[in-house]
Amino acid sequence: MKVTIKQWNAVAAWRWDMPEDDMCGICRNPYDSTCTACKFPGDECPLLMGECNHSFHMHCIVKWIRQESSQDKCPMCRQVFKAKDAVGHAG
Amino acid sequence: MHAHLPPGITLVQADNLDTWLMDIRVLDDNPIYRNQTYRLKFVFSGSYPIEAPEVTFVKTESHPIPMHPHIYSNGIICLDLLDRQGWSPVHNVESVCMSLQSMLTGNTKNERPEGDESFVRNNRLRPRDVSFYFHDNTV
Repeated sequence: MKVTIKQWNAVAAWRWDMPEDDMCGICRNPYDSTCTACKFPGDECPLLMGECNHSFHMHCIVKWIRQESSQDKCPMCRQVFKAKDAVGHAG
Repeated sequence: MHAHLPPGITLVQADNLDTWLMDIRVLDDNPIYRNQTYRLKFVFSGSYPIEAPEVTFVKTESHPIPMHPHIYSNGIICLDLLDRQGWSPVHNVESVCMSLQSMLTGNTKNERPEGDESFVRNNRLRPRDVSFYFHDNTV
């Protein structure tokens, strides 16, 4: 029997390379979902990991760091929050 | 949220995203708080959780204001994590309730803060705008 494929629909799923049940500690939405301001997950609403290895939706942590009272500290461990990615891109 | 609350913490009212009511009990046998339930009011701004919620004890017929050297008789609480400088956006209603439970559990002084009477009479500021002096970190 010869089968001729006339049409096919590809379906793909993606997720961030993070533990599945983990959520952003600030907005308490899953990492695979968005911050409270965004509608669509993905590159538009990325995650950001600090040198302290704590991660958040980028929009959430940026909102926090902009507060004077944050003193630029990670909400989890209160060390100064420096994005880990920035180290990789520097070179 | 109902199903996962730690012992001694109950959700009383959360009809909207502005104001929630929670009841807390102290779990150990501290004689100051024995057999009592305290009611907490959480008021959230549009910037929660980047900004701290305003958390106060409220008095009802069955809920007194707990005696504590950092809790004024009008229900205003002096606790660093509720202050602008001490707040972190990873706190939430549950963790705040647990911190207050532990603040009560560890207390041995059956007394109000210094100047309670005049503070309660004269204060017109909202709790977060009051500058507390964290002069006594032993309680």
